[in-house]
Amino acid sequence: MLGKLTLSAIPLDQPVPLVAGAVVALIVLGVIAWVVIAGHLPYLWREWITSVDHKRIGAMYCILALVMLIRGFSDAILMRSQHAVAYKAGGYLPPEHYDQIFSAHGVIMIFFGAMPFMIGLMNFAVPLQLGVRDVAFPTLNSVSFWLTASGALLVNVSLVVGEFARTGWWPAPPLSEVTYSPGVGVDYYLWAIQISGVGTLLSGVNLVTTILKMRAPGMSYLRMPMFCWTALASNLLIIAAFPILTATLAMLILDRYLGFHFFTDSHGGNSMMFMNLFWAWGHPEVYILALPAYGVFSEVISTFSGKPLFAYRSMVMATMAIFILSFMVWLHHFFTMGPGGDVNGVFAITSMIIAVPTGVKIFDWLFTMYGGRVRLTTAMLWSLGFMVTFVVGGATGVLLAIPPADFVLHNSMFLVAHFHNVMVSAVLFGAFAGYTYWFPKAFGFRLDEWWGKAAFWFGITGFVIVFGCFYWLGLLGMTRRMQHYDVADWRPWILISAFGVVVMFVGLVCQVVQLVVSIRRRDSLRDVTGDPWDGRSLEWATASPPPVFNFAALPEVHGEEAYWAIKSRAREQMRLREEPAYEPIEMPLNSPTGFICAFFSTLIGFAMIWYIWWLAAAGFLGAFVTFVVFAWRDTVEYEIPASEVAKVNRANRSTRLEALHGAGQRRAA
Amino acid sequence: MSHADHADAEGLDRHQTEVAPGEEFAEEDIGKGIRGYLIGLALAALLTVCSFAIVHAKFVWAPAVPVAVIVFAIAQMGVHLVFFLHITTGPDNINNVMALAFGVLFVVLLIGGSVWIMSNMNSNMMPAMPPSSSPQSSQPSMPMIQPMRH
Ligand code: HEM
Ligand SMILES: [Cu+2]
Repeated sequence: MLGKLTLSAIPLDQPVPLVAGAVVALIVLGVIAWVVIAGHLPYLWREWITSVDHKRIGAMYCILALVMLIRGFSDAILMRSQHAVAYKAGGYLPPEHYDQIFSAHGVIMIFFGAMPFMIGLMNFAVPLQLGVRDVAFPTLNSVSFWLTASGALLVNVSLVVGEFARTGWWPAPPLSEVTYSPGVGVDYYLWAIQISGVGTLLSGVNLVTTILKMRAPGMSYLRMPMFCWTALASNLLIIAAFPILTATLAMLILDRYLGFHFFTDSHGGNSMMFMNLFWAWGHPEVYILALPAYGVFSEVISTFSGKPLFAYRSMVMATMAIFILSFMVWLHHFFTMGPGGDVNGVFAITSMIIAVPTGVKIFDWLFTMYGGRVRLTTAMLWSLGFMVTFVVGGATGVLLAIPPADFVLHNSMFLVAHFHNVMVSAVLFGAFAGYTYWFPKAFGFRLDEWWGKAAFWFGITGFVIVFGCFYWLGLLGMTRRMQHYDVADWRPWILISAFGVVVMFVGLVCQVVQLVVSIRRRDSLRDVTGDPWDGRSLEWATASPPPVFNFAALPEVHGEEAYWAIKSRAREQMRLREEPAYEPIEMPLNSPTGFICAFFSTLIGFAMIWYIWWLAAAGFLGAFVTFVVFAWRDTVEYEIPASEVAKVNRANRSTRLEALHGAGQRRAA
Repeated sequence: MSHADHADAEGLDRHQTEVAPGEEFAEEDIGKGIRGYLIGLALAALLTVCSFAIVHAKFVWAPAVPVAVIVFAIAQMGVHLVFFLHITTGPDNINNVMALAFGVLFVVLLIGGSVWIMSNMNSNMMPAMPPSSSPQSSQPSMPMIQPMRH
């Protein structure tokens, strides 16, 4: 009846995950109880859970990402503290548990921390920057989000029901085959990633369609803000790469469930084929994450330097070059696993070539700042921190791309330092820069700058300490994924890196405090005009938070930096642009389809993990019925009357006019 | 930039002139659309028949048969692209052509790269196959890293 699921699946003998799981479960239940009792449930259901508004969905992606980043960080704390005590001793985490922690850490950070954050920012900002009302397929967007959330839920359920994979974040066979991993851990990994992977693929299709087909009148490709270009490249990569991941994991599922032999080392299987296919997705994936972050930095640096992006077209070229090159380097992840010198040589060279367009970008950002009036806001600090630290990460990447060097450094702590160096400084710093930059647009008030800067300084200091030590530990010969060690030379560096984690933790606390403080002081941090940073692209042309329909009339674009042109004209003439002729606007109706689909997908995933076949069938049937009901719906849109549109727009116009005159008087005085 | 000017001149009307893929025929007359599909079907069937015929034909020089089949296959793809997927060279079709080009590029990179990598790794493996008649392969072990070309 319940497949492999019995009471013994709950790890009563392991206090650490159980207590952690219980605390998380209590918090979640507490929040749900509070929501229900305080009567917020109808509001949440109507305005968020069933919302198909790209801004709401984007915000929910980012909230999911923030929560998962904290979960992933707590795994990191466990690992660092284990190493701090496991010198010539077993430490407090037994090997089979330590292995689950580093696996869960990687999976959560990449799939449920970094990915949702970047997708969330793109979802939120791209339609606004393009000057349109929503993404191409709004309900599909909601489905994508909830599928991602479903995957995240499954990974977290593994904490208290059963176990998680012990294979690392890429489940390499033969270790991940049933022979060596008979438990449910790898199955949790497989189904969580399959379900969220479908969500990611759908959101890639959605954003690419939006960018290619739905720009504001006059917004040609070469007038799009840089962030839209990097979003385009990133989502094209999603479309090209994610099917590889899905197919590869499907083959592993067939191996594990039906006794196939794709990747076994007997009966004609080939485990290196998994390595090959996984990294053919894996390397593009790191650029799926890094490219949108480059876009955020481009927007932030240009805004806070008060200058257009330097050499916009070279930036576009560099983005598209990285897009193509990122598909030609995947072998550098297994230089040491058998390819001959000629293959290694070719992939070494393609890998190093990626540093060229990346360097172009760095110089473009530097020249954007050169001669500008740089304002050191929190978002700008994250961007500067990125530029300084990322160069080091890129350089160690080029070093690792030299096969003879990689034979020494592969799978050492040096490698761990390299990829954290690039992932943290590009993706995480980019996420925080984007979060502080677009927060006022999303919620109507700015985040507190003092706490933001504190978070930055603690964050970057801790980060440099931790991963500086890792580089050195790698050179001292320490390999990755060790549960304990007995080399005296490593000990001081391991202790210093543990101290670095404490510093990072302070940064995290500042980040949380910043949010709380800003919410409490929201009235003094209010963004009344909709343009808090003196921005240059179209998202700043509408109110903060923007109305559901984003723009009362679609803006007309006559050149690069669409909003800067409008604003400059307004400043010269001391009046706003002509009021548009208001028309009623059709917007898509909210729909619970996404939430219900994801509910059934979670059931399918859970059932497959525990071999509960009837439940899987029921979940599948439910998901299919949901789809049919959605496809047969009668009304798709609702209409917002012209008078309502006019009212909303006039309110924003009056505050903008006031600000314009205020600034004019200040200039005259 | 010509594309930009073009978009500007049309201004607000641009959205109405751009039709989503698949909707092209909604506005044209249906008969023309159906005729296109029929021509495509006929060509596709013809090419299929040809490739079956050439395999069985006695009068063709044997080594030329695979080449001919490959040529027919490529022509078949072309027919599908033009008549069924409506890939044209018109300016409104740039997105579709680009999507096709990227698709082909990535598939070639992935499949070509995988075949190359996997065969290269295979030839570096220790001989695990049952011994063949050649005396060399019965030698015991081979150092892993040293490349061994067959
Ligand atoms: C100039 C650019 C870069 C080069 C040449 C480069 C090169 C490399 C090489 C050779 C490896 C494999 C080392 C080994 O396993 O021994 C590697 C690993 C890795 N790189 Fe990079 N890299 C670059 C940029 C980036 C960026 C921008 C990111 C992410 C934002 C990234 C993320 C990673 C990750 C996640 C891994 C390790 C995965 C694992 O083994 O778990 N790299 N890189
Ligand atoms: Cu890589």
